[in-house]
Amino acid sequence: MVLTPAKPRKMWGVTDQPSENLYMPMIAVVDEIFDETPDTKTFRLCFEDKEYAKSFSWEPGQFVEVTIFGAGEAPIGFASNPLEKSFFELTVVARGKVTQMMHELKRGDQVGIRGPFGNCWPLEAVKGMDLLVVSGGCGLAPLRPAILQILANRKDYGEFWMLYGARTPADRDFKYDLEEWAKRDDMHLLQTVDIGDDTWKDNVGVVTTLFDKIKIDARNTVALNCGPAIMIKFVTIGLLKMGFSEDRLVTSLERYMKCGVGKCGHCCVNHVYLCTEGPVFTYQQMRALPELKL
Amino acid sequence: MKASETWVLKKTDVSKFFAGVAKEMRLVAPRYLFGGDVTFGVVESPGEIAWDYGHVIYPPKRFLLPHYEDMFRYECGPPRRIRLEAINEAPPQAILGIRSCDVSAIRFQEKFFGSPIVDPYYKARSDSTVLFSLVCNAPPKKECFCICCDAGPYLNAGFDVQLTDLGDRFLYEIGSEKGTKATEAGASMLVKAGSDDIAERRRIEVQADLLFETTAYLAKAIDFISADEVPDEIWEELGSTCFRCGACTNLCPVCTCYTVDDRAEADGSFTRCRSWDSCQYAGFTREASGHNPRPTFGSRVQRRFYHKTSYPYIMRDGRHGCVGCGRCISACLTKLGVPDVVKRIRRGMHKYLPAQDRAAEV
Amino acid sequence: MNPVLTTCGFCSCGCALYIESAAAARVASLYPSANHPVSSGRLCMKGWNATPAVLGVDRLTRPLIRKRDRLEPASWDEAISFTASSLKRFISDIGPQSVGIIGSAKTTNEECYSLARLARGVIGTPNIDGACRLYDASIIHALLQTTGTAAPQVDVNAVAHAGSILVVGANVMEQLAHVGSRIEDAADNGCKVVAVDPRTSRLAPHTSLFLHPYPGADLIWARALVKAIIDRKLYVDSAPEAPGFEELRSSLDEAAGGLKAACGIDAGEIMEMAETLAENPPLVVMFGLGVLQQLQSTEIVKALADVAILLGGSVMPLRGQNNAQGACDLGLVCDLLPGYALLTNPAARKVWEVIWDCQLPAKPGMSAVDMIRACQSGEIKGLMVFGENVALSAPSTEESLEALDRVEFLAVSDLYLTETARLADVVFPACSFLEKDGTFTNIERRVQRVRRAFEPMGDSRSDLDIIADLASALGAEFPRDPRKVMAEIATSVSLYKGVSYDKLDESWGQQWPAGGAKAKLAPVSVGVAAKDEAYPFRIIASRINYHQQTGTMSARSSVLAREYPETYAELNEADAEGLGLRSGRPIRISSKSGSLVRTLMLSDSVPLGCVHVPHFFGGDSPNMLASYECDPVSGVPAYKALAVNVEAVK
Repeated sequence: MVLTPAKPRKMWGVTDQPSENLYMPMIAVVDEIFDETPDTKTFRLCFEDKEYAKSFSWEPGQFVEVTIFGAGEAPIGFASNPLEKSFFELTVVARGKVTQMMHELKRGDQVGIRGPFGNCWPLEAVKGMDLLVVSGGCGLAPLRPAILQILANRKDYGEFWMLYGARTPADRDFKYDLEEWAKRDDMHLLQTVDIGDDTWKDNVGVVTTLFDKIKIDARNTVALNCGPAIMIKFVTIGLLKMGFSEDRLVTSLERYMKCGVGKCGHCCVNHVYLCTEGPVFTYQQMRALPELKL
Repeated sequence: MKASETWVLKKTDVSKFFAGVAKEMRLVAPRYLFGGDVTFGVVESPGEIAWDYGHVIYPPKRFLLPHYEDMFRYECGPPRRIRLEAINEAPPQAILGIRSCDVSAIRFQEKFFGSPIVDPYYKARSDSTVLFSLVCNAPPKKECFCICCDAGPYLNAGFDVQLTDLGDRFLYEIGSEKGTKATEAGASMLVKAGSDDIAERRRIEVQADLLFETTAYLAKAIDFISADEVPDEIWEELGSTCFRCGACTNLCPVCTCYTVDDRAEADGSFTRCRSWDSCQYAGFTREASGHNPRPTFGSRVQRRFYHKTSYPYIMRDGRHGCVGCGRCISACLTKLGVPDVVKRIRRGMHKYLPAQDRAAEV
Repeated sequence: MNPVLTTCGFCSCGCALYIESAAAARVASLYPSANHPVSSGRLCMKGWNATPAVLGVDRLTRPLIRKRDRLEPASWDEAISFTASSLKRFISDIGPQSVGIIGSAKTTNEECYSLARLARGVIGTPNIDGACRLYDASIIHALLQTTGTAAPQVDVNAVAHAGSILVVGANVMEQLAHVGSRIEDAADNGCKVVAVDPRTSRLAPHTSLFLHPYPGADLIWARALVKAIIDRKLYVDSAPEAPGFEELRSSLDEAAGGLKAACGIDAGEIMEMAETLAENPPLVVMFGLGVLQQLQSTEIVKALADVAILLGGSVMPLRGQNNAQGACDLGLVCDLLPGYALLTNPAARKVWEVIWDCQLPAKPGMSAVDMIRACQSGEIKGLMVFGENVALSAPSTEESLEALDRVEFLAVSDLYLTETARLADVVFPACSFLEKDGTFTNIERRVQRVRRAFEPMGDSRSDLDIIADLASALGAEFPRDPRKVMAEIATSVSLYKGVSYDKLDESWGQQWPAGGAKAKLAPVSVGVAAKDEAYPFRIIASRINYHQQTGTMSARSSVLAREYPETYAELNEADAEGLGLRSGRPIRISSKSGSLVRTLMLSDSVPLGCVHVPHFFGGDSPNMLASYECDPVSGVPAYKALAVNVEAVK
């Protein structure tokens, strides 16, 4: 069986179109804001329309287009537990005009939400297999929903290894989760930082330095990776060396996006629109895209 | 041509005919501006229509995909409550005198915007637009090469109403439901086309074919580009003279890429507006982090041609992305029109092909 | 939705555009004219994105007056009368010479003319100058003394038929796209394009020879080129008969030292250049800010004009701004009256004293640079600046900002709240070229119509109205109808004789006649290459194509602004290694006058000993590094080839 990312059950503009038109958002309210790191915040959002909130669902790997009124729209991946119906969370780094204005939001402020968009991590197809989740920095956010779903259905999966790297201990996202996951005996969490501090007891070095600590059979494992492009590059090299087949390395690609519905052209990689046909791809699929120069 | 759908409209009846059409919808037609310049614009009366116009730079695609298009408005009214208001201006319109190349391009865009997800703005405008196209008896400018792109100078299908200038009359062919409906009001002015009308049209078809000055042998370029065989050196050489003005994509009747901005209004509200964008601009793919997946001029020229001529896009869109209108040739400040690039790729690839294949090369 | 035919307000190509408006200040469509001789159906990136650039959301829409040290909205009456009463006070307390006016190279001909008249004819101050003083004013006297025409001698389309083209110190492909496109056409037809620039540029694919002198050494190689042409008798047969030939020949007797060491170009390359240009007529000699903002700019321009005259060719100075030509034609120059009449010429003064009913001093007033400095010394009490962000475009930014802050009264007219406007006592909200009627004169001396496509945004007004309001408050009635102003210009300025709105409506503009004056050769002085131990590097300041000057307009278009990467500076890899500097890290570039910090990038297109510092939107402009040292003849500051030091930022 050749592994491919999962087709989503819900996709804005395809399965349903709840707002007035394809490009007009639904309104959600900021319920809570958590500071993950000095430049990253998690926003907990609830739809104003409670009926809509009930019918709204999404899967790990998907994203929304967030409208910050007065600034514009930006694509952000879901970062919370997909089984949670009363809210969803987005974890955002303040980089461009829209995300910077987003960081100035207060509780009670309204945002626009279009979505869900995109495809999903293949969590159904890999049931019964061992899992290796590798992420770095803010790359943990798009994987968090997958991790939470895996843990909620733990018995459906084999061994579960997780590697996470960040620049410093303070730059780690979801520290509260990492603390919990480190204590669990049904998963192996290994963390590393580039630069440690006095309290840091774990590994120091890039995430690939953790590779010789994992005990897996590459023939029965699927790797889900997400993080900075340079990290993905070296993780991929390392995992291929370990014997992973190209379809068993799954990642989430990133491009500048605007419309989210495969029309504006910004997110194309060769013939593929990341917003409608991605952003989750296997390495095998990526190798078929010459622009990626893999 | 289906003989049953082919009629004749006398030129002396043209004004009256389109005055009738104008009762249902606005007329968009070529008008002379200044110094020989022509544009497609809303005309108040059929008398303003410049039936003898040659070609037009600014593509009539702007009547379906406007250069700047407002999508919706919002207010951040007190107490910080958002109100959204959709904008949908799709006035019923008849575009008269549009060329076969532009018609093919609009059909391409209708397919693109209509599936798999439906763009509501394009659909609304397209639903309320009927095209009365005009066959080119001769290519209007030397840069035309529609004949190489299966998009002109006349169409066998895909038009609403196709007019051919036969001297003192137009051949009038209906090609769609929309065309039939738009003809109803003036149907009494049409007479069945006779065999000499058809023969005259055939003569024009044959004659026009001999008059094209520009050719584009797209096939080899499609092969090389689809197989990703064109080396970076060729793309970078092509890109080395690009002015990055975006004219090729702006004026291309097929191109559809756009950017979206939230524009602040004087009264404090905002309008989300989309406007033509170009993959030839460096900022088209630049991410907030500063990383740019297409950092060089060559990578962007490659993108334009990949999008227009590669198999995956051809399969998805139903045809390749060029209708041979020649605008990218005349609008380009250097020489990156489709025929030029296609030729330079074909010739440039000689260096890279094994010896035995070179004999087969054009 | 009737398309309005107007002229682009960005560069001096002067393309014809059609604008269709959807609603107030909202553009529906923009496209070029197919038949206009320059635009020919094509535009550059700025032209295609012109409308968002000038219709930005933060356009000034109301006059502002400084009250309690803050700029507060005010009415037009208040703003005008406050300005007028301040000026009157200075005039009566000290004299009209305590007032200075700096005009724009972007405003219409009618506005430039009216401003010159306001200054000389109503206020009576000799201190009237234009933005050209900061860019290309060197061409005026240098060309009046040689070709006789302070303007290009050839049309843009003629460039495509040149046999050889010499392009010196100009990023022409990115700054004047239409001229660049014709250079490419010429090269495709066998024209020999010779480019000279310390750094390579996008001209490279079209050149048969691309030479890279050291920054600041252009007079040295230009002199050597003239000498080579004369010594080897490469000139056309009629050249020795040109006035000044013998003087020129003897001025070249003084030997210059080792050529290669002094300027980076050796004798063999000079000879190759001379032969290539001589053997491929017709020649067009072009030069841009790389030359025009150098310390010895007037001398260099004269030498390049000599090259053209000796080889029977033409000169095409590459002025960047849309109405740089018109502004100078119509007298926004401190030592000239409209039409290039010398202020020092009594007969010319007499003529204008009659037309403007005023007295004119024989001595030229202060240049724009001197006016800014005089704001510091207090000699200028009241300064008015129209349509130029002098705070960023003047040299020695720190000192200039202080001077502008210090001056007792500053009035600024602009589209946006620029760095200059922020220091003002009165800010007039001006409207853009899309919102008014008038004319611009392009790089072909072609006077063309600017037509209103939108109502002025908010309460903004045309500079013509603002100037007429000020004149009225000072007791003079100026015509507000630009058609009437042009009628006056056409009767009084011989270059513009016959120009009328009726004729302009029937044509692609009216070109004023060049030629007529017999070409004269000018002697060429010896260039000096200065070296400074404390500041061992030379800057190469460039402009990028999606940015116009200080970016006041282009920063407002999201598409143009999106092209704008992080501010950076480039060094040659070897130099960076030698200084222990790493790519991606901040570096400090400092001169005697100021310093700025940029992110370092490495490029082998930058010669050793140089640092490439592009101009970006607003903020830290390389002008910061320039001092008030100017070309002695033209008074244009030396912005190029500045001596700087480069080091890491701790």
